[in-house]
Amino acid sequence: MFSKKHLFLSASAVLLLAACGNGDDETGDTGEETTEETSGDMNELTVWTWDPNFNVKALEMAEERYQEENPDFSLNIIENAQEDVVQKLNTSLSSGVDTGLPQIVFIEDYRAPSFLNSYDEAFYPLGDYYNTDEFADYKVAAGSVDDNVYNIPFDTGVTGLYVRTDYLEDAGYSLEDLEDITWDEYIEIGKDVYDQTGIKWLTNDHGDLGIMRVMLQSSGVWWTEEDGTTPYIADNMALKEAFEDYKEMNDSGIMNVHNEWDQFIQTFNNGDVVTVPTGNWISASIMQAEDQSGKWGIAPIPRQNIEGSVNASNLGGSSIYVLQGEGQEAAAEFLAATFGSDVDFYQDLVTEINALGAYEPATEGEAYEQESEFYGGQQIFQDLAEWTQEIPEVDFGQRTYEIQDILAVALQEYLNGADLDEVLQNAQEQAESNM
Amino acid sequence: MKNEKRTKRIATYVFLILVSLIFFFPFYFLIVSISNPSIDITRGKLLPGSHLIENFKTMIETTPISLSIWNSALVSVGQTIISIFVSSLAGYGFEVHPSRGKEVVYNIILLSMMIPFAALMVPLFRLFGTISGIAPALGIDTLFGVVLPYVSTAFLVFFFRQNTKMFPKELIEAGRIDGLSELGIFVKIFIPTMKTTYAAAGIVTFMNSWNNYLWPLIVLQSPENYTVPLVISAMGSGYTIDYGSVMIAIFITTIPTAIIFFVLQKYFVQGMVGSLK
Repeated sequence: MFSKKHLFLSASAVLLLAACGNGDDETGDTGEETTEETSGDMNELTVWTWDPNFNVKALEMAEERYQEENPDFSLNIIENAQEDVVQKLNTSLSSGVDTGLPQIVFIEDYRAPSFLNSYDEAFYPLGDYYNTDEFADYKVAAGSVDDNVYNIPFDTGVTGLYVRTDYLEDAGYSLEDLEDITWDEYIEIGKDVYDQTGIKWLTNDHGDLGIMRVMLQSSGVWWTEEDGTTPYIADNMALKEAFEDYKEMNDSGIMNVHNEWDQFIQTFNNGDVVTVPTGNWISASIMQAEDQSGKWGIAPIPRQNIEGSVNASNLGGSSIYVLQGEGQEAAAEFLAATFGSDVDFYQDLVTEINALGAYEPATEGEAYEQESEFYGGQQIFQDLAEWTQEIPEVDFGQRTYEIQDILAVALQEYLNGADLDEVLQNAQEQAESNM
Repeated sequence: MKNEKRTKRIATYVFLILVSLIFFFPFYFLIVSISNPSIDITRGKLLPGSHLIENFKTMIETTPISLSIWNSALVSVGQTIISIFVSSLAGYGFEVHPSRGKEVVYNIILLSMMIPFAALMVPLFRLFGTISGIAPALGIDTLFGVVLPYVSTAFLVFFFRQNTKMFPKELIEAGRIDGLSELGIFVKIFIPTMKTTYAAAGIVTFMNSWNNYLWPLIVLQSPENYTVPLVISAMGSGYTIDYGSVMIAIFITTIPTAIIFFVLQKYFVQGMVGSLK
């Protein structure tokens, strides 16, 4: 009995010490680093980002290129899920504790305006470090407040209509029939193909209004007004049409409904849908199914029946930001020399990780001319780059996801048979009362 | 009569088997998926494949999984021992040495269970920012910083107080007569007698700590200090996810909690119903 108790006590004491001891060691290390950094030049920059196969790879490639000129330079890349980067950044910035904040952080374009407006002192302006005119306007706009540019654009979320050309041909259509069309025409062709082949035309998650964001941006509007906060729902003709088209797709039976991201990927990997209208970043997931090589093609995204609507839009994509503080200049210089101006770097991004930037001079390069065997020999990067330049600029405002949640409920009511004007009016009022 | 009983029993078994299959299915899918490439996992393949070694390699190459398991183990074991010691001491004190003032304190502690952690996060992070300025070894980006807010939890104090009600007070008297100090009674009599309670509290605390997500995410900054849930979460974020390596990472990290649960299962059930031999 006694020995057991002694064992328990000494074990707990040892473990307690071990836990503390470890803490000591770790801070000892980081402590040294900080003193080094503050005393001399800042050679190691910390970055917060997500996506090991995309953002992290791109950063590692940029680091390698920059090291050719600056051998002492290095990056400390800290990888978290995107929501977690947002959470950490929010907690740090709102508590005013700057311990451990990075120099560089990636932020999705839809979320950027709310960060820039809530913490206006936190970000370092980058407009003087690179030529903003050489980037697609809509990307620069996402990271700008009152003519101050805070971002360096990274990947474009330029959309395409990814199509199974073999299914299309079975129904007597070709990829050309899908070029330069409206969503109404897209639905008509879809009904015909579905009748003939029995394969669903597209798949969607009723809770994720990505396809509506695509439709809205192609018409140059958003669900907030230009001030970024006032909801623009009830009188928004583009949104109204988007709702109507969505219901038509749902009611006519051509739409498959999925609930999770993995189910989304599963549908096209299994060959259960003909088209996937979404951002170009889906390409890697589509190409996973090697047995479908040569059976895919990409058409421009359909447009709305609204004046000024174009066959080009965007879904997702992020930009790179620098936080104010120690090392801000070094971070800005690094980003300007790589993501901000290096044409060859952008060729590598395309070749190695299929990442499409929004940097216009880069699109002249060789990498963009390659033909993709998987997409039946189509010059997909050339096409996507061309569409990128046509994407209308919209102000994403500070409430993209908040209002999306309200609209998702509205959509559900509308799909269940409620009156559209009434549903949108209610959503408008709810969004206004949340302001 | 006999037949009726039998059909009833069969129906019960069929029902139970169905329910256990439903509960077992996610685990089955996990086990099968560790040997399949990402594409087969998204396609929903339900049979084992031959991709196990590749998945394992990718996971080892792309994630600091072994380091994070070590960190998680340190945090979980440390937190379990410290917090059940501190909380049981408190629960024992409230029950054995009651007073009106202590009741008020106890009720305040219980009320603190009502505040969601998300509401405490920003102030807590500020507090740790200050601690970092004074004693960096206990502050932000240290494993101790992960444990510190959980040293005393309202649930454990409550749990130990409830269970102390069943502790025979005569043992305390006997201890006093034999000349033990109050702390001696606690350490030499209370702890050994209440070991099923300690085991139950230990399992709950260990699992909570092993799976704890939000606070480690906020307080830890460098990847060398990351715990397992943070690493796995980062693996699943991106345009294209390698589900094969995610599955194998989840599988490996499920093992410790499963082992601990099975080893202490007997005590766990006893401790939860509050029985005392």
